[in-house]
Amino acid sequence: MKELLDQVVREAGRIIVGKEQTLRLALTCLLANGHLLIEDLPGVGKTTLAHTLAKLLGLQYQRIQFTSDLLPADIMGVSVYHRGDESFQFHPGPVFTQLLLADEINRATPKAQSALLEAMEERQVTTDGKTRALPQPFFVIATQNPAHQIGTFPLPESQLDRFLMRLHIGYPDEQAERLLLSGEDRRRLLEQLPACLTLEQLKILQQQVSNIYVADALLDYIQDLLKFSRTSPRFNHGLSPRAGLALINSARAWALQAGHQEVLPEDVQAVLAATVGHRLHSSGDTGIDEGASLAQHLLQSVPLP
Amino acid sequence: MKHADNINTPLLYRLSFITALVVAPHFQRLDLSITLALLAVLTLRLTTLYFTRWKPGRLLLFFVTILCAVLIFSVYPLLMGLEAKVALLSLMLSLKLMECRTQRDLKIVVFLGYFTLITHFLFDQEMLLVGYIFLMVIALTSLLVESSRSSKATGWRFTSLRYSASLLLQAMPIMLVLFFLFPRISGPLWNLGVDNSTGRTGLSDSMTPGSISNLIRSRAVAFRVDFDQAAPPPRQRYWRGPVLWRTDGKRWTRAKFLQAAPVTYRSSAQPIRYQVTLEPSPNDWLYALDLPETLPPEATLLPDFQILAKEIRNQRYRYAATSRLAYHTGPLNQREQRLALQLPDNITTRMEELVRQWRLEASTDRDLVNRALRHFRTEPFYYTLTPPLLGDNPSDQFLFESRRGFCEHYATSFTTLMRIAGIPSRVVTGYQGGELNPIGNYLIVRQSDAHAWSEVWLEESGWTRVDPTAAVAPERIEQTFEFDLEENSGLGIPVIFSAGDYGLFKNLTRQFRLGVDAANASWHRWILGYSKEQQQKLMQQFGLENLSAMKLALGMILATALLIPILLYLLRLRGEVKPDPVVKDYQRFCKRLSRTGIKRFPHEGPKDFAQRVMRKRPDLKPSVNAITQHYIKLRYGRSDGTKLRQQFHRLVRQFRA
Repeated sequence: MKELLDQVVREAGRIIVGKEQTLRLALTCLLANGHLLIEDLPGVGKTTLAHTLAKLLGLQYQRIQFTSDLLPADIMGVSVYHRGDESFQFHPGPVFTQLLLADEINRATPKAQSALLEAMEERQVTTDGKTRALPQPFFVIATQNPAHQIGTFPLPESQLDRFLMRLHIGYPDEQAERLLLSGEDRRRLLEQLPACLTLEQLKILQQQVSNIYVADALLDYIQDLLKFSRTSPRFNHGLSPRAGLALINSARAWALQAGHQEVLPEDVQAVLAATVGHRLHSSGDTGIDEGASLAQHLLQSVPLP
Repeated sequence: MKHADNINTPLLYRLSFITALVVAPHFQRLDLSITLALLAVLTLRLTTLYFTRWKPGRLLLFFVTILCAVLIFSVYPLLMGLEAKVALLSLMLSLKLMECRTQRDLKIVVFLGYFTLITHFLFDQEMLLVGYIFLMVIALTSLLVESSRSSKATGWRFTSLRYSASLLLQAMPIMLVLFFLFPRISGPLWNLGVDNSTGRTGLSDSMTPGSISNLIRSRAVAFRVDFDQAAPPPRQRYWRGPVLWRTDGKRWTRAKFLQAAPVTYRSSAQPIRYQVTLEPSPNDWLYALDLPETLPPEATLLPDFQILAKEIRNQRYRYAATSRLAYHTGPLNQREQRLALQLPDNITTRMEELVRQWRLEASTDRDLVNRALRHFRTEPFYYTLTPPLLGDNPSDQFLFESRRGFCEHYATSFTTLMRIAGIPSRVVTGYQGGELNPIGNYLIVRQSDAHAWSEVWLEESGWTRVDPTAAVAPERIEQTFEFDLEENSGLGIPVIFSAGDYGLFKNLTRQFRLGVDAANASWHRWILGYSKEQQQKLMQQFGLENLSAMKLALGMILATALLIPILLYLLRLRGEVKPDPVVKDYQRFCKRLSRTGIKRFPHEGPKDFAQRVMRKRPDLKPSVNAITQHYIKLRYGRSDGTKLRQQFHRLVRQFRA
């Protein structure tokens, strides 16, 4: 199975050059059946990353560009009166897909944001009093621009918490950038990209993730991490139990990818920054995002039990 | 990041409150204006915390600081004396509170607080204060605990207090070692220019009518006595102080003895052995039961049986003595005779007439003494705490006009009369009686027990104690001298003695008072009185004699060094019931590697560590790999085989870096 996953990463690496770690984390997030938030400047490949993953995993793919006048109906779909049957017929919105790319999620109003976030959590959509299940699997990859910009609606903490991971892509290094600049058009490459996984295989992989063994010693470690975040004065508030679950699930998925039979502390540490970075705030909140440095502090402060 | 370590408002409240408590015991010692300034600054702090919008600006703080400095220099111009320094410290501490914002500020305030606590000991070392300081140390430490915890942490609000209390409790054994073994400086350690003698009451070496009746209003303790056997009955508890010979008719003073002659007296009574713990006093004499026999080595006995100490002690002082209650002092020498018959100029004819009358009635000196006592008993003389003011010739006035007086009136006029009769006599001042504390089984002698009596020299018995007060008010001598100041405040009103039937409440408070006094006495005796000699004695019990300070210090360090591993071990026993053998083996493996300079970070996972090791020491690759594989399997894997465990153990044992 590791080979299969390695192959996915290798293929994706042809499109997103020099970002293997980020690709692995993104893949891990999807394996752990979680939603992914990508936060970075425009133009570093957020959308391309989402697109690549959709292609490689062989998933149905929809994209919504969030704007300030986006309405919940634009995401979920509307019922339209059908003259022939003299009845309302539901026209499903873009949310009815396996992989949804929500571009610039912080540009939409809270109303539209919460419509999507309900769908993410419940994996179902309720319109006109009728509840409709979303396809399985259902992933959301949202992107947002972190720079302070007029007219954005930053996601509240409760909604940030719905995302299993938050990733930064960052600028490519010199070598990778050279390759990028001199190489073929990525868009065309993307179209040619073969699907490496079938839906069946993805399901099996997710099944295997939940089978990865977690020893008591590792649970001790995770609890120590949670406890430290709750008692250290460095953090405004501690990690929630949901954050703890997210950490374990991501670590499991990472372990599968790394070819481990069981979750090792290294697996937890590898996913720690991505999993808890957006859930931590420093105690003297300055409005500046310190997720990465806080996660680093957490990692280095808690010894292995 | 800049504001990351700001401290929050509840903590600041707590800090301000505890700082106020830390400084509080100084309030009574400092100038009133300084105390008010301290309270003002603390109030300013609390109000600016409460009304968050009203933040004190730098200019205001600067102004307040200048104001405080000016105040201190106006009250203590040259910053001389301990009080000035303490005032400065306390004010600066509270001013620091005003600009307390970050963790660092908090730590500074807390450490200054610890220091301020120590300064209390310069003034007072009572048990209550020490208890208070213990509480304050716990409170201050809890602030440190609190500041290193998240404010959102759940649980009891005062958990930090529990933490700091248990922390300090764990430090207790080391504290005890330091207390018992720290080399003592002989002499007062804390006596850093503190004037202890101001405001102390006590007997003085001269007496005018009224000087003792002023003294007895004070309930302060003069000294405490532990008897080696049963205490003598109240009427025999005469504690001898200054002996007064010379008089100008109003004032009585001591005689000057050029040298301490070896004093002897005959006695067939059993010696009484006791230890006196004298409160700090401005005087250079000690007290002993009539008549002292053996003395502490650092004291001398004057020919009139007054004990002189070699120096004035500003510290509580404990000494042993023996006395015999019945005695014959033998013949009188010339100088003594001359002194004991010295008469003032203001002898009136009616005094001489009175004595002549007695002389006619009495055949011997002893009869004359008895006749005089009968005079006091039968004529309307009253014993009062508030005698009327007397003029130039108090003896005459007292004997024939006012007839209301306190012990000093009776003693001085009686002595004067005896001298007129030609019987050598003198006045002895000291204390009489004392309250037996059944809880600590010792005698408390208070300033209110101050007393004056006479001594006459008779051919057949030598110097003989005669207490004219006993003739007037026998209750004063027979019982513990207790009276109600309120009841006895009227001018010239005879003393109403408490009959001893207390109400339940009064009885309970009395019991409580005695209990506190007993606790305090043993506190002084065992803790504060733990001197160089006592330390040596303690060491002798362990078979270590004559240890030098250097050896003691070494012993102290050694004992601490021994104690810490024991404490650590006990803590570990409590924390980890059973350490996992696998973890233990792995730690051994890491330890061996750390000796070669490759140290595992506490947060480093086994795989990462192995990779780092192999990069640095490729030669160790196979063994490190095997050990790490085994460890991962055993600790994080599903397998829990004993065979694997043994294998792992063997691998670690064979591992050499």
